[in-house]
Amino acid sequence: MSPIMSLRGVGKSFGPVNVLRDVDIDLYPGQVLVLVGENGAGKSTLIKMIAGIHEPDTGRILLEGQPIRLSNVRQSEALGIATIHQELNVVGQLSVAENILMGRLPNRHGLVNKAAMRSIARQALDRIGLGLDVDTLVGELGVAQQQLVEIARALNQDARILILDEPTAALTGGEIEVLFTIMRELKRRGVAMVFISHHLEEVARIGDRVAVLRDGDLIDTVPAQTGEDELVRLMVGRSIENHYPRRRDYGGPQETLLRVEGLGRGHVLRDINLTVGRGEVVGLAGLVGAGRTELVRAITGADPYTTGHVLVRDLPLAKGSVAQAIARGVGHVPEDRKNQGLVLDSSVSDNIGYATLYRTARFGLADRAGQRRRATAMADRLNVKMAGVDQPVRDLSGGNQQKCVFARWALADSNVLLLDEPTRGVDVGARVEIYEFINEITADGAGVLMVSSDLPELLGMSDRLYVMNNGAIAGELDPATASQDDIMNLAVRQAAVVEGDQR
Amino acid sequence: MSLTPTAPTARPAARGNPVARFVANNGALVGLVILCVALWIATPHFMTTDNVLNVVVQASTIGLLAFGQTFVIVAAGIDLSVGSVAAFAAMVACWLSANVGWPGPVALVAGLVLGLVVGVVSGVSIAYGKLPAFIGTLAMLSVARGLTLVVSDGRPIGTPDAISFLGSDIGGFPVPIIVFAIGGVVCSFVLTRTVAGRSMYAVGGNLEAARLAGLPVKRILVTVFALSGVYAALAGMLLAGRLNSAQPQAASGYELDAIAAVVIGGASLSGGSGRASGTLVGALILAVIRNGLNILNVSSFWQQVVIGLVIAVAVGIDVLRRKNTHP
Amino acid sequence: MNKNIRTALAASAALALTLSVTACGRDSTSGTSSDNQQVTIALSTLNNPFFVDLRDGALAEAEVQGITLNVLDAQDDAATQANQIQTAVTAKTAALIINPVDSDAATAAVKPALDGNLPIVAVDRGVTGVDVDSFIASDNVAGGAQAADALAKAIGEKGKVIWLQGTAGTSASRDRGSGFETQIATYSGITVVAKQTADFDRTEGLDVTTNLMQANPDVVGIFAENDEMALGAVQALGSKAGTTVFVVGFDGSDDGLKAVQSGTMVATVAQQPKELGKAAVDAIAKLLKGETVDATQSMPVVTVTSDNISDYIS
Repeated sequence: MSPIMSLRGVGKSFGPVNVLRDVDIDLYPGQVLVLVGENGAGKSTLIKMIAGIHEPDTGRILLEGQPIRLSNVRQSEALGIATIHQELNVVGQLSVAENILMGRLPNRHGLVNKAAMRSIARQALDRIGLGLDVDTLVGELGVAQQQLVEIARALNQDARILILDEPTAALTGGEIEVLFTIMRELKRRGVAMVFISHHLEEVARIGDRVAVLRDGDLIDTVPAQTGEDELVRLMVGRSIENHYPRRRDYGGPQETLLRVEGLGRGHVLRDINLTVGRGEVVGLAGLVGAGRTELVRAITGADPYTTGHVLVRDLPLAKGSVAQAIARGVGHVPEDRKNQGLVLDSSVSDNIGYATLYRTARFGLADRAGQRRRATAMADRLNVKMAGVDQPVRDLSGGNQQKCVFARWALADSNVLLLDEPTRGVDVGARVEIYEFINEITADGAGVLMVSSDLPELLGMSDRLYVMNNGAIAGELDPATASQDDIMNLAVRQAAVVEGDQR
Repeated sequence: MSLTPTAPTARPAARGNPVARFVANNGALVGLVILCVALWIATPHFMTTDNVLNVVVQASTIGLLAFGQTFVIVAAGIDLSVGSVAAFAAMVACWLSANVGWPGPVALVAGLVLGLVVGVVSGVSIAYGKLPAFIGTLAMLSVARGLTLVVSDGRPIGTPDAISFLGSDIGGFPVPIIVFAIGGVVCSFVLTRTVAGRSMYAVGGNLEAARLAGLPVKRILVTVFALSGVYAALAGMLLAGRLNSAQPQAASGYELDAIAAVVIGGASLSGGSGRASGTLVGALILAVIRNGLNILNVSSFWQQVVIGLVIAVAVGIDVLRRKNTHP
Repeated sequence: MNKNIRTALAASAALALTLSVTACGRDSTSGTSSDNQQVTIALSTLNNPFFVDLRDGALAEAEVQGITLNVLDAQDDAATQANQIQTAVTAKTAALIINPVDSDAATAAVKPALDGNLPIVAVDRGVTGVDVDSFIASDNVAGGAQAADALAKAIGEKGKVIWLQGTAGTSASRDRGSGFETQIATYSGITVVAKQTADFDRTEGLDVTTNLMQANPDVVGIFAENDEMALGAVQALGSKAGTTVFVVGFDGSDDGLKAVQSGTMVATVAQQPKELGKAAVDAIAKLLKGETVDATQSMPVVTVTSDNISDYIS
């Protein structure tokens, strides 16, 4: 079988940064090529070249053996290449049918032929077995269905090559099954697919071949049946024995660092009591919307609360004062590092130094040299991969960006760390480094409160575990003995009971 | 990931030669040089010592307003009131001197303090009163201009010696250039060396992240408008000094030139970026264009067209540059 | 965005209006008595000493005539002026003196007053297509010619001159310019080497003159279409003003007259804004008494030089 598309020796640089070098890839009809690699390995750049968003600086792209130039999205779409991006490209205020036929609405003299529009849209949905009302507004659909609407649109444009950029990241287990069923159907129809995922267990289930990228180089293309450990080894360049390397090495005197007493705010937070001791990692589980983020933000002073107290080493914190919380040693790694954690256009050095900017200043003058020196040392300690501390933090990969947020609090000597989804969007190598960092600081006597939706992570890294639902603490578990089901039982079952009460 | 601690993912590309990089990072400066060379070729009257000094003097008023505006724009705000505040501060200072009998230097300082107070009022209404900067300073634009007319009763007032000095020269070297230079050095110093300045970039780049990192964002917002007010007051008095008279309609519309100078200098209106040196270049570009068009005796109708096009081109090039250097 | 800006501008205009009305409230209360008639004077702007003088002349005459004058300032915005006039008519003003922001736009603006059969006097600028009861203005074209004569005399009818124009497209700039252009052409020894706008503004006058003197160092005369620009030119010339380069302005403003007195300006063509204001109120007073007035009154403009400066400065 001959490939439908071939990339030969393609490379790309942004300014001085060389993000992709000499990559050869073939796509075959009816096959799924899985693209794996750590964040920053060059996956996004690669698919953007296929999608016509970036043009390669070097190398050639061949379509059915003919060299082509893809200089914009319109061109690649016309050649039958469609991309489903992580950020969905649907218009919430328009109907399913309008979204599917966007840009090519059937019309006569500019007037939309609604009947034709509905019937074409229905056919497109039937093709992927999706039974949706075509008049529904897309904004009313869940993420999974919005994604499927986008796939229907791509297929309606006769896509022969479909690129799926982390389509499963926002989906639940059942939804992923639906997606895979549709993908298998598309394989049968001869559509070539590129599939990006951080979940290695998905590779064997849907993929045919796996291309592994690392630091802009194509390391290898291997069969999809390759074992997960081997894939990880290829991705990070070394093997990772333990995915959750939690160690409790603190041997000093016991002390309660953080004590939350009767904290409440309306229905959002109800009478929360918890403690975090020296050397301890305390997990906080719960569904999205259970109040975990709200709790962390209330403790750190970012949001107000109406009842209760927050005490750090038995001294109460003022409500709503982030500055005071930081001065007392509280550090907060927010859930959304791009919008809440980092100033993306500022340098790595500046971002690491914000919490200590005022503390190290003399007569209102910033200690630039000192801050830069300390930030460099801390970035080295956390193994932040970068061109230099003066590089804008925007150019770093997700994992390295997250390390910068950690470095900020390490530099500020924070000993109460509030982590909100600390490894979301962080690849496996950087993830383990973050866990090791947590081990280091807890060994030195810090305490950590960690919110996560990743249950294996919570069970693997926590010393104690609270489960929240509906704004309240539903229970405390011992991670050594608890299972994922135990957590979900507390998180879901009780939520249903409360809902029942309200009815 | 290798085991060496700082294995960089980002390697300098072969084509990133230093000259090309300098051009890409200093587009406005390159534009200014091209403009000057073109005028040098077009007319013998442009590149003379006297005329170059003239250009810098003429850039000084807009330039000072723009330095103040740089703080605000770096912090993702905008200050539309600077022209009015300039006129207001100069008018009050001259009024205090002429009608109340305050000594000139005291009146001058009073004018600067007034600029500071006006800036603080704008800043508080924006940081604590949650007004959008556009609206808060638009209100101040109107209030300050109105108060200028109230104080002056619509008539010019003569300047005391201390203020006239700002517009004079020392042994043939224009004082406005000295004031302009000091203003620029202070602006650059505040932005690069002080905690307040470093915080402005954080607040402008991502307000929520700055807040969660413990930076006093409200205080910083008030600071940027206060600084803008002081710079506006200084610009107003410099302008009055050059004319030996505080004019009620002085500097009207200058806020737009000041904003244009900052943006031409490479700052983004969405905040988080901007340099004093860029703003200096932006202000000089506007002054060179006006000076050159006068010398070439270009019809006034076309001058406005040319200035508009230059702003569009300068900012357009910058947008393209950013697009190419970020994935 | 555009809409936002317009809304914002409207808001600021409203705010400014409130302020100016408050500021002018002081003036209108002077000499109030029960049988006073309220007359509205709608001015284009008070952001210019000329119109401030015009207002002062009107206020002084109103006091003499026992008329209460309601002073409105349109801040050079034609729409604001239309709204102000409409409001004044609704508030039962007895008569209207209008100094239009824009002659064409004023046609619609005075309609409420026309509908109410109010006496209307236009001052300084006319109202296009409307027979107001009286139109009182300086003769700007004649003034431009007088300025050309004064400048020619000062430079001995030969040499290069610069011409500073007012805001492009305004009637004052057009009329003064055409009078000057025609008359200066009659002097064969004089060449106009540059004409550039300085927007009727002193700062611009300073900057533009500085720039033009770079290109034309041998200039001996400058005509500015108003005194503000002329004073800016004087500032730019420094010690050359009145010694090697002679400046002629227009308007006869206080600062302009002082400059003529001190010799830095050779002449200013004096309009008499106070006289304009006085004549307008005078005409309104007659109209209110049922007397007739001339449909157009041309206020003479006077070339003020060192010879006759003592008549114009107090």
